[in-house]
Amino acid sequence: MEQVTNAEWEPRIIAFLCNWCSYAGADLAGVSRYQYPPSIRIVRVPCSGRVSANMILDALRAGADGVLVSGCHPGDCHYISGNLYARRRFALLERLLEFVGVEPGRISFSWVSASEGEQFAKVVEEVTERVKRLGPARRLVKEISSCPS
Amino acid sequence: MSIVNQKIGGEIQTIASSLLESGEVAAFLGYTKGSLPGMMRPYVARDSGEAGNLSWSSFCVINLANYLPALLRSVEPPRRPNEPPPEGQLPKVGVVATGCWSRNMVVQVQENQIDRSRVVIVGVSSRGMVDRRKVERLVGNREITAIEEEDNVLIVRGKGFEETINRWDAVRDNCKTCLHPDPVIYDELAGGLSGDRQIPDRFHEVEEIEALSVDERWKWFQEEISSCLRCYACRNVCPLCYCPTCFVDDSRPQWVGKSTDEVDTALFHILRAYHCAGRCTDCGSCESACPMGIRMRLFTKKLQKDVIELYGFEPGLEADAPLPLSTYKVDDPEDFIITAGKKGDQK
Amino acid sequence: MSRPKGSVLVVGGGIAGVQAALDLADSGFYVHLVEKSSAIGGTMSQLDKTFPTNDCSACILSPKLVEAGRHLNINLLTLTDVLDVQGGPGSFNVRVRKNPRYVDPDKCIACGTCAEKCPKKVPSEFDLGLGTRKAIYLRYPQAVPLKYAIDPEACIYLKKPGRCGFCKKVCPSGAINFDDKPEEFNLEVGSVILSLGFRPFDPSGLDYTGYATFKNVVTSMEFERLLSPSGPCMGHMERPSDHKEPRKIAWLQCIGSRDINRACHGYCSSVCCMYAIKQAVIAREHSGSGQLSSSIFFMDMRTHGKGFEAYFDRAMKEGVNFHRARVHTILPAADDNLLLRYSGEDGGIREEEFDMVVLSVGLETDPEVMKLCHDLGIELDHDNFVSTSLFAPVASSRPGIFVCGALGEPKDIPQSVMEASAAACGAGGILHSSRWTETRKKEFPPERNVYAEPPRIGVFVCSCGINIASVVDVEEVTEYAKTLPGVVFAQNNLFTCSQDTINQMSETVKRERLNRVVVASCTPRTHEPLFQETLREAGINKFLFEMANIRDQDSWVHQKWPHEATNKAKDLVRMAVAKVRGDEPLPYNHVPVTRKALVIGAGVAGMVSALSLADQGFPVCLVERKDHLGGHGRKFYRTWQGNPMQEYLEELMERVQSHPKIDVELGTTIDEVEGSVGQFRTRLSNGLEVAHGVAIVAVGAESFKPRYGPWNYLYGKNPNVHTLLELDQRFIADDNALRGLHEAVFIHCVGSRVPERPYCSRVCCTHAIDQALRLKELNPDMDIFMLYRDIRTYGKREYIYQEAREKGIVFIRYDLDNLPNVREKDGKIMVEVIDPILERQIRMRPDLLVLASAVRPRDDVGELSRFFKCAMTEEGFLLEAHMKLRPVDFATDGVYLAGLCHYPKPVEETIAQAQAAASRATLVLSRDAVLSESITAVVNSMKCTGCAVCAMVCAYSAVTFDRNSGKAVVDTGLCKGCGACVAGCRSDAITIRNLGNEQIMAAVEAAMEE
Repeated sequence: MEQVTNAEWEPRIIAFLCNWCSYAGADLAGVSRYQYPPSIRIVRVPCSGRVSANMILDALRAGADGVLVSGCHPGDCHYISGNLYARRRFALLERLLEFVGVEPGRISFSWVSASEGEQFAKVVEEVTERVKRLGPARRLVKEISSCPS
Repeated sequence: MSIVNQKIGGEIQTIASSLLESGEVAAFLGYTKGSLPGMMRPYVARDSGEAGNLSWSSFCVINLANYLPALLRSVEPPRRPNEPPPEGQLPKVGVVATGCWSRNMVVQVQENQIDRSRVVIVGVSSRGMVDRRKVERLVGNREITAIEEEDNVLIVRGKGFEETINRWDAVRDNCKTCLHPDPVIYDELAGGLSGDRQIPDRFHEVEEIEALSVDERWKWFQEEISSCLRCYACRNVCPLCYCPTCFVDDSRPQWVGKSTDEVDTALFHILRAYHCAGRCTDCGSCESACPMGIRMRLFTKKLQKDVIELYGFEPGLEADAPLPLSTYKVDDPEDFIITAGKKGDQK
Repeated sequence: MSRPKGSVLVVGGGIAGVQAALDLADSGFYVHLVEKSSAIGGTMSQLDKTFPTNDCSACILSPKLVEAGRHLNINLLTLTDVLDVQGGPGSFNVRVRKNPRYVDPDKCIACGTCAEKCPKKVPSEFDLGLGTRKAIYLRYPQAVPLKYAIDPEACIYLKKPGRCGFCKKVCPSGAINFDDKPEEFNLEVGSVILSLGFRPFDPSGLDYTGYATFKNVVTSMEFERLLSPSGPCMGHMERPSDHKEPRKIAWLQCIGSRDINRACHGYCSSVCCMYAIKQAVIAREHSGSGQLSSSIFFMDMRTHGKGFEAYFDRAMKEGVNFHRARVHTILPAADDNLLLRYSGEDGGIREEEFDMVVLSVGLETDPEVMKLCHDLGIELDHDNFVSTSLFAPVASSRPGIFVCGALGEPKDIPQSVMEASAAACGAGGILHSSRWTETRKKEFPPERNVYAEPPRIGVFVCSCGINIASVVDVEEVTEYAKTLPGVVFAQNNLFTCSQDTINQMSETVKRERLNRVVVASCTPRTHEPLFQETLREAGINKFLFEMANIRDQDSWVHQKWPHEATNKAKDLVRMAVAKVRGDEPLPYNHVPVTRKALVIGAGVAGMVSALSLADQGFPVCLVERKDHLGGHGRKFYRTWQGNPMQEYLEELMERVQSHPKIDVELGTTIDEVEGSVGQFRTRLSNGLEVAHGVAIVAVGAESFKPRYGPWNYLYGKNPNVHTLLELDQRFIADDNALRGLHEAVFIHCVGSRVPERPYCSRVCCTHAIDQALRLKELNPDMDIFMLYRDIRTYGKREYIYQEAREKGIVFIRYDLDNLPNVREKDGKIMVEVIDPILERQIRMRPDLLVLASAVRPRDDVGELSRFFKCAMTEEGFLLEAHMKLRPVDFATDGVYLAGLCHYPKPVEETIAQAQAAASRATLVLSRDAVLSESITAVVNSMKCTGCAVCAMVCAYSAVTFDRNSGKAVVDTGLCKGCGACVAGCRSDAITIRNLGNEQIMAAVEAAMEE
C-alpha cells in the first residue's frame, strides 16, 4: 500500500454527531476557540443510535478517508438508550471491517458530551492523525479514479 | 448403506405419514433424493403417500428453515396483504430440523416469521453434512457418477474408479466446528440425540485470517469474493434473509451498485454478513449453495465469534433471550471507543 | 375580589426557578423570571456531574435554560433585584430594579471579541475565584441569555471614563452602551414564587479546617469547578498550590452542618454525603493515573435517596475509602500536603497525610436573601430557611407567595425541581380562572403548498460581523452557493439573525417564491427556531429549512486556515443544500386533549393530586383498589413535627368526597389502557370506560413485614414485637398498655440496605426517633435503645435526633457483620448487640421491640407500568423520565407519578410530589390540543418484514409489532424521532421524516464532491 506522506494532504472525514451531546460539544469547541484540523464534515443526527452500518459504509463508498461517529456518554443519551444500541452495532461493524482488511482507524467512535469542547477538538485531532497515517482511503471507495493519487 | 441415516429416514417417513394422515399437518417439509449423485433436495409431502418419498442422508445441506415461512403462508387460506389472519387455528406444517436449523427456527419465532404453534418439528441430531466439493477434491476432481453412503465411509464411483473415503474427511467445515448438533426445539425425534460437543478451536478458521496483517486480509477478502457473480444464491438459501426488498435490490436508497464492481461486491458481502450478526447459526447453506465456492461463511463466522466474545450470546439457544442487536447492557465492552488522551485510552 | 392576574413572578433563576417558570408559562400564565446575576442557571450550572446518574450537569440543564430564555411567555429579567411586594393573592404589585448590563442584548452576538480585548482581569465568581474572567464577561459558556455584561466594579472605563473603552471599539455590532442606567418599574402579578436557593457555607471561620490557611484545602463547590471541563483547569484536576494532580484526597463531611457549637447550624444539609461520594468517584475517573486514593470522613453516611445507596455501594467496591471518624485537626505537612488528625469510632487518635482536602460544606441562606424575605414579610425559621408547614410544603407564611428549592430546607436537585412544580401548582390554584389571559400567542399566515414545485432554494450566508467573515471568504461562499443545483437565490448578510435581516429574509422568500431555505451561520442548536419561525412568517413550512454551521464548527475552529475554512464552508453549504432538497413539509402534529385526569391510588399522594387538579377546574376520576380512601396514611400517627396525621387525612378525604369535580371509584382496578397523551381510554374493573388526557400513578408501596428470613427478630412470634406502623396504630388508638413500659428497643434498617433490598427506605430513621420521643412523652423514665447503622435524619429532621439524644435515648450502631441477636426467654424478649464504642456486648430485655422495617414496592406495580409503558427500577419502584430534572414525569408523555410508588418518602415530600404531578398534568390539561413531534418515524409496510427489531429498540414504545398485519406500526404521538429504529432495521422499512437514509446519504455524498 502506497503511503501518502504529503504533509499538505488534508483527509476528508465524515462525522456523524448526535444533536444533544457531541454536536453541542463541537459547538462548545468553537465557542472556546479550540483549534482543530479542517478535515471533518459534520452531519448532524438526532442520536448516535440513528447511525447505521449502511451510513458508515456509504460514507466510505463515497470516498471519505475516515468516518467518525460520536454520541453521548453511556447514561447521558437524550433518548435514554440510543447510544447503547449504537455501541453494539459499531463494535461489531468495526471488527468486521478490520477482518476484511479495512485499515484500523478508518472508522472511529467516541463519546463527547456537551461540555467537552476541548475533548471534541482532541478527538478530531486524533482521528485526523490516524487517518493521515493511513493515507487516502482506497478500500471500499467506489470511484477510485476521482481520488488523488 | 448408512444404517443410521436409513433409520432416521424411516422414522421421518413414519412420523410424517402419520401427521399427514391424521390431518395434524397440511404439509411436511423434508428431503428427498436428488437426481445427481450425492444430491438431496428439499421436498414437501402433502399426503401420506408422498411421505414415502422422504429421505435422509449426509447431503442435506440446505437449511429447511428457509422454506418454512413461505410454506406456512401457502397452507393458509388466501387473503389480502393487510387483512388480519382468520380466527382460530391455522393449518400446521411439519418440518425436519437439525441443530442449526432448529436454532434458525428459534430466531424466526423471535422475529415473528413463523408461529411456533403451527409447526411440528421433527428433530434430528446432525452427524455433519458432507461438502460435495470436498468429496470431489478427495477423488482428485474426477467425474463422479455415484456416491454410496455408509455410516462412516463414502464409496465414490466414477468412470473407471471406485474409492472409499472417510466420511468425516468430507464433512463441511461448519459442521466440524458445530457445538450443538441436537435440535434445540422439537416435537418429535427421528433417531437419537448425541449431546453437545466440545471443540476447543471452533473458530480456528477465523483466527487464521485474524492473524494476517491488515493488507493480507484485504488481499484475502478481495480474492475470496473476486469470483462472485452476484447471483445471490447465498442470500436466497439463507433462512435469515426475508426482507421483501433486499438492500441489494433497493434503488431508494441505493446502498450498493448492482454490477459486479469490486467495491459493490465487497459491500454486498459485508452488509449481507452484518445483517446476520447475532442471528446466524452457521448452518453453512450459503457456502453449500454458492456456485463459485466462495467461503462467505467466514464473514458470518467472524461475527459469531465477536458476538460470543462481546455479548456472550449464541443465537437460537434460548427463545427468551433478546437478539444481541436488539438489546444492550450498560457495561457492554467499549474499548474501541477512542478517548483522545483521556484515561482508559486503549489505542 | 375581581379576576386575579394571569401572571406570576418567579424570583431566582436557578433550576427550581426555571422549572417553576416553565411549568407556569406552559400552562397558561405569563411569567416574570427575575435573576440577580447576568445569567440564569444557578448553582446547577456550576456543577460538573450530578449524582446518582453521573450526568453532565451542563448537558442536562442547558436545554431547559434555552427553553426558558426563548419562551414567548417568560419575561427574563436578569441583573434584576426585587425591591418590594405589595398586595395579596391574585393581585401583587412588585417593585423591581433592573441594573445596567452596559451591553445591548439585542445587538450582542456573543462573539467574545470584547472579552478578548478587555485588559481587566478579575476573579471569576462562577469559578469561586479559582479562575479569572474579564470585566466584560459571560457568566459561563452556555449562559442564558448568551449576552455579555460589564461588571461596573471592575470596568476601567466606567470607573474613569475616557480610559480604556476597548470593548466598544472592537464590538462588531455596536452593542456596548456605557450610558446604560438602572431602571425601576412595577410588575402586576397574581402570585409570587421564591426560588432563591442557598449559598455554600463559608468555612473560613472554622480554624480546624485550615481553609483560611492552607491552599490545598478547598470547599466542595470549589472542587466542583476544579473537576468541570469548563472550569479553571479545564477538567484536568489540579490542586491549587502547585497545579499538580493530587494523588490522595480527603473529603470532610458535615462542615457547617450538624454543628451547633462551631457553625451554628444544627440541621443536616442532606446533599453533602452524596456529592462527596460523587466527587470521590469522578475524581478517580479524572485522575490520569487512575491511582487516586479518595477517603471520605463522615459521621453518618446519608444516602437516603433513590439510587443513592447503590451509588454508595459501588463507590466502596471501586475503592473509595470511608472512615467513620471526625477530623479535628489539619496540620501542614511537606510538599504542601496536609496531615489529618482524627478520632475513630473507638476513640483512638489516628493521623494520615493527604495531598488535598475537600470540605463538604453545607447549605445556608444568603444574608441578602434573608433581608429580602424579611422585607417581603416572609417568616423564616431559626435556621433562616423559609418556614413552611409539612402539610403545605411549598406555601410560605404570606398567602399567595410560594417557596421552592433549598430556600425552604437543604435539598437535592430532584427534590427542588419537584417543589418548583408544586409551587407552580400552588400559584395555578389561585390564578386558574385567569389562565391564558395574559399570555401571548404567535399567529402565522397559511402555508403555501410547495409539493408540486421544483426546489427553489435560497441560501443566506452570514458574516456574523467578522466572526465568520474574518476567516471564511463569505463572498466566495455566497457566489459558490448560487451554482448549486436548485439554488435560485444566495445572499451574504452582516448579521443574519438581526431583526432587519430577518424581516428582509421573509420578504425575499415571498418575492423569489423560495420553497427551501439554507442559512449558513452559527449553530442550529440556538438559531434554528428563529429562522424556522421566519419561514412560517413567510408562509413556508418550517421543516423546509437547513443550517450550515460555518461559525462554531468552522471559522472559530480553523482561524489559522482561512483557505481550508472557506472550502469547508462551501462543503457545508453544499451538504445543507443537498439535504434541504429532499426535505418535505411536515405536519405540525396536534393531539386533541380530553381535559380530564385519571388518578390511580387514593392515598395522600393520589388525593392531593386529585384535589390540586379539581381545584383548578379539571375533572378527575380517582381510582382506588381498596373500598376506602386514605391508603397508607391511615396507619400514621403524626409527622415528625408532631402534626396529627389522622386529622389531616380526615379533612383530605372529606374534601375529596365532596368535591363536585372528583369521581371516586372505590374497589376498582385498571383493566386496560389505550391511547397516548391527550387521548387515553382506560377500562376499569367495574366496566367503566374513562376517557382522559393524562394519568397520575400514585399507587403507593407496602411495609415490609419480616415474617420469616434473616430479619425476622421474633416478628409475628412475640406479641411485643412491632413494625413502626403497628406501633403507630397503638398510638392512634391511645393504647393504655403503652403507659408503664420500662424499656424499648428499636432496630433500624430491618430489610433495608441489605442484599435483597439494597436501598435505604428514607423515612424510618426519622419515624423511629419520633416514636421513641413519643414513648418518652408517655413514660419519661423509660429506657430506649436505638440500634442503627447510620442515622439518616436529613435536613431539619436532625433536630429530633438531637432531641432524642438529649432526652437520654441511647444510640448503638451495628453493621451487617454484627447483627443484633434477638431471642425469647420465658416469653421475654432479649436483645444482644456489640457496642462498637465500648467494644463489648450489651444485653437488653425490652418490653417493646420495634422494627423499623423497609418500605417495599408493591408486587403489582409491574402490571400497572406495562399499561402505561412506564419503566421500573431494579428494586421495583416506578422509574421517572429523568432522575434529576423530570422527577414526576414518566418517559411516556402525559403520565406522571407521585408518592411511595416512586420511592419511600415522608408525607411532606409526598404532598409536594403530588402537587408537582398535578402541575405537570396541567401542562396538558390546560390546552385544547398538545403538540407532538413532527419529525417522526414512518413505516413502509411494503418493505417491512415484521421482525420487530424496531419495536425492541424503541425506548418510548412508539413502534410496536401489529400481529394482524404482521408489520411494525408507529404511534406518532409517542415517537421522539431519535431514529434508533431506522438504524436497527435491516430492510430500510422504517425511516424518520426528513432524516431518511436517502437524505443523509445525499448530504454525505455532497460532502465528498469536489
